[in-house]
Amino acid sequence: RSGSKHATTPADNYYLARRRTLQVVVSSLLTEAGFESAEKAAVETLTEMLQSYISEIGRSAKSYCEHTARTQPTLSDIVVTLVEMGFNVELLPAYAKRSQRMVITAPPVTNQPVTPKALTAGQNKPHPSHIPSHFPEFPDPHTYIKTPTYREPVSDYQVLREKAASQRRDVERALTRFMAKTGETQSLFKDDVSTFPLIAARPFTVPYLTALLPSELEMQQMEETDSSEQDEQTDTDNLPLHMGTDDSGPEKENSSVLQQNTSLSGSRNGEENVIDNPYLRPVKKPKIRRKK
Amino acid sequence: AVPVSAAVAAAPPEGAMSNGVYMPPSAANGDVKPVVSSTPLVDFLLQLEDYTPTIPDAVTGYYLNRAGFEASDPRIIRLISLAAQKFISDIANDALQHCKMKGTASGSSRNKSKDKKYTLTMEDLAPALAEYGINVKKPHYFT
Repeated sequence: RSGSKHATTPADNYYLARRRTLQVVVSSLLTEAGFESAEKAAVETLTEMLQSYISEIGRSAKSYCEHTARTQPTLSDIVVTLVEMGFNVELLPAYAKRSQRMVITAPPVTNQPVTPKALTAGQNKPHPSHIPSHFPEFPDPHTYIKTPTYREPVSDYQVLREKAASQRRDVERALTRFMAKTGETQSLFKDDVSTFPLIAARPFTVPYLTALLPSELEMQQMEETDSSEQDEQTDTDNLPLHMGTDDSGPEKENSSVLQQNTSLSGSRNGEENVIDNPYLRPVKKPKIRRKK
Repeated sequence: AVPVSAAVAAAPPEGAMSNGVYMPPSAANGDVKPVVSSTPLVDFLLQLEDYTPTIPDAVTGYYLNRAGFEASDPRIIRLISLAAQKFISDIANDALQHCKMKGTASGSSRNKSKDKKYTLTMEDLAPALAEYGINVKKPHYFT
């Protein structure tokens, strides 16, 4: 507080206003005594003394009052305090009458900081009963209450289905376009190449190979059940039964071929016995009848 | 009330209690007038109701509150501010005496009195405060 340039809080302003008032009072007293001017240091000294004198009277009077088990200080407490501080109490009325002609100066500064209405948001929480009323209020509720600002996700079935369908359509479209742009394309129209590109089909050398070979998933399943040889006999027993049920009206050649297939499959490894699909068995060429 | 007080107090039998003031035997001669021990400033307090001291009530009340003193009666506050005023003006008068003494010590001007412009300086204030037991030491200059 020694004249620094820092921003002062309202409490500091409060304190400084009163301090200035004391300085004015000291100056008026000096003027009344006969001084025309005074050194700054002297005025500061006397101001400090005045402030500490008042504080000391207050503290001492309070102590005397509490010493006699009371809480409200009375005139006697103050008289005793003044006597203890070396103040001649009897001269006080005379002094009061003498200084009647002194001009009354310096009204106090009332500096109550009030937040403007525009800045307050919401209702402050009222004081609980155990807090006295002269304490400051609670802060605005927005300083300690947080409400999330996201919206609830939509859970309507129809909207979700529509969303899913449109998303899948977009994904498919994007993917095909990507493949068209990065791979070979064929066009529907002769002259307009870029409008409707079709992804060029890659012809396989053996087109029916993918239809005959098992998929990756089935290959894995085959490897997993490789060691089960117990199923071998059951499979061979089941196979002719399946033949009978599946192929209701086969030709004799086919049935013979199939039965030879089952025997052949029985002689093979157990790996291939698991395959139940008749179309996946190795092809047995039909006997070619040579014309004699 | 005399026999009662004589029974209660362990005073010498000649000591009389009158008016609530214990008078030692030596005082019975009339050399020392005992002060009637009522609270001295009661009457003065009544006069204070319409008198406003130089220090505003709010300022004095502020400093008293900081010390823990809550005054129920505003006249009490005025009394205290008056006492503080008197304290300061006593010191100011002593400093003025010092200033005047320094001015006319050498007897320079007799015809006209010392010029009316007195300036309170620390050199005058320091001895005035020393009489009250307050020592102030100010450096002549500081960096």
